[in-house]
Amino acid sequence: MHLLIVAVLTLREAARRRIFAAVAVLTVLAVGLTAWGMWRIAASMQQRGEPAVEVAGAFAILVLLLAYMFSVVLAVGAAFLSAPAIASDVESGVILAMLPRPIRRSDIVLGKWIALVALLVAYTFAVGAIEFTLIHRISGYLPPHPLRALGFLASEGTVLLTLALLLGTRLSPIAAGITAIVLFGLTWIGGIAQSIALALRNDGVVHAVTALSLTLPTDGLWRGAAYALEPAVLAAAALTDVRRESPFTVGAPPPAAFDWWAFCWVAVVLYAAVVSFQKRDL
Amino acid sequence: MDTTAGDDAIRTERLAKRYPAAAGDIVALRGLTMSVRRGETFGFLGPNGAGKTTAIKLLLGLTHPTSGEAMVLGARLGDRLTRRRIGYLPELFRYQDWLSAREVLGLHAALADLPASSRGTAIDEALTVVGLAQRADDRVVTFSKGMQQRLGLAVALLGAPDLVFLDEPTSALDPLGRQDVRAVIERLRARGTTVFLNSHLLTEVERVCDRVAVVHRGVVISEGTVADLTRESGAVRVRVAGVTPAVAALLSRNGTAADGWHVVDDIAEEAIPALVASLVAAGARVYAVEPIRQSLEDRFVQLLRSDLSGVSSDASVDSSRSDAP
Repeated sequence: MHLLIVAVLTLREAARRRIFAAVAVLTVLAVGLTAWGMWRIAASMQQRGEPAVEVAGAFAILVLLLAYMFSVVLAVGAAFLSAPAIASDVESGVILAMLPRPIRRSDIVLGKWIALVALLVAYTFAVGAIEFTLIHRISGYLPPHPLRALGFLASEGTVLLTLALLLGTRLSPIAAGITAIVLFGLTWIGGIAQSIALALRNDGVVHAVTALSLTLPTDGLWRGAAYALEPAVLAAAALTDVRRESPFTVGAPPPAAFDWWAFCWVAVVLYAAVVSFQKRDL
Repeated sequence: MDTTAGDDAIRTERLAKRYPAAAGDIVALRGLTMSVRRGETFGFLGPNGAGKTTAIKLLLGLTHPTSGEAMVLGARLGDRLTRRRIGYLPELFRYQDWLSAREVLGLHAALADLPASSRGTAIDEALTVVGLAQRADDRVVTFSKGMQQRLGLAVALLGAPDLVFLDEPTSALDPLGRQDVRAVIERLRARGTTVFLNSHLLTEVERVCDRVAVVHRGVVISEGTVADLTRESGAVRVRVAGVTPAVAALLSRNGTAADGWHVVDDIAEEAIPALVASLVAAGARVYAVEPIRQSLEDRFVQLLRSDLSGVSSDASVDSSRSDAP
């Protein structure tokens, strides 16, 4: 019951602080601009009489780039929304009035997490559905597994959201947000380094990055999204020639064990956030 | 520790809190031992950094003790269900400023598990008691600091708790507001609510509190009723007429005279009847004998000074710093 009260309060705060409105305006702007750009590209390709397969190929690349931009926006947004969720309540003193009530500290952490994840998932699927519909209308191209890709993108955001929430139980809002973003950036760079290391057959770097990717599974989840979005021909090219492997051309999807690993990672980090907040002196 | 003391709303024994720090532990509370009886208004006094707010946070389960024990309303520290019966106004009060006053109270009513059917009445009553009924639907962000403190008081009073912690409840209020808080405390006392009042305004504490404890450097250095604490030990004022040389000699033995009132120092309570009898026997007419009281503020300062002079020689023994939040 208290958990639901906190979840609803978190959503009300997002609405009252005009977070919904600001995000909606920016999203409409971004979707409008990308749709206009794609419409222009499709129009010029059709004018030049490019075959449909070429148009589809170009749009396959565009979709991957757009999805990558979207994944960064989701991850950064999730971190900056989640980092202050507890940290700013502690810093401002709001939490001092709430915790002497018969509420468990775990209800505060889980209530906020549920509300933020619900927001993230709803936003990911809503914006993703709009973008894919527009792309299909403009170019006739639809990626192979759009829903699976959105699932991976939402999972990637959830990973970073959970990490920022954990950091926010101990650090200031800004420190928690920046730390989460820096770690996200590190794994992203790691992903690129892994592609290069694979081409150079440098096993040491490959193993180090794999360990990094398991420590923070955002890059692995992005690769799941990329695999779900790329046409089979791109995946096959990367699979047969490691030099073609990159964050945008993935030879194989992450193994099922990795999906479970990411799921368990979120559960463990969320549990750590609960314990960390329970043990904190206020 | 005796946990069967049913008359105690709060009971602590050697409750201590240290915060680890690079330059040595910071001692917020050295070893708090005290008791607050049910239904009394208890003043918790001390200078800045004495550990008052830390003590309240420990009692509310906001902070975890390093050592020692405590019971609040018969339950161990932080007991979740007991917190239904507790109200709290923090020193650094801050509420969701994007909500209205009524919504803040609605949130706290739900968190306090008040039955849904009685929440509306409880909220209206709390708003009326603190004088915020007219601004109930305005957002907290538009409130002055004083109004936010009134809202905090309403939050603390919500649902008729058995124990209310008020940490500096008048810090942001004007004299009129302070009078209102005094009336609220009187109202709580009449209802049988235990009030734990932490305030720097000693004249207010003197007016409303049944008992007080003075805490300094993390320990209680004095505890008792306001009357006990403010009575100057062994001093009485005697109003007499018919002062003969024999009477004057009796009075001047350990006192001074002024305006018909004579101050007699260093006299034990049991010696007062003998003094009166001697005066009467010497021909004086005794109209009044009154114990001399200090103001709570004077007594407070005296206690701190005497504690400081007593502990200054111990400072080198304990390298820990006392710097309570």
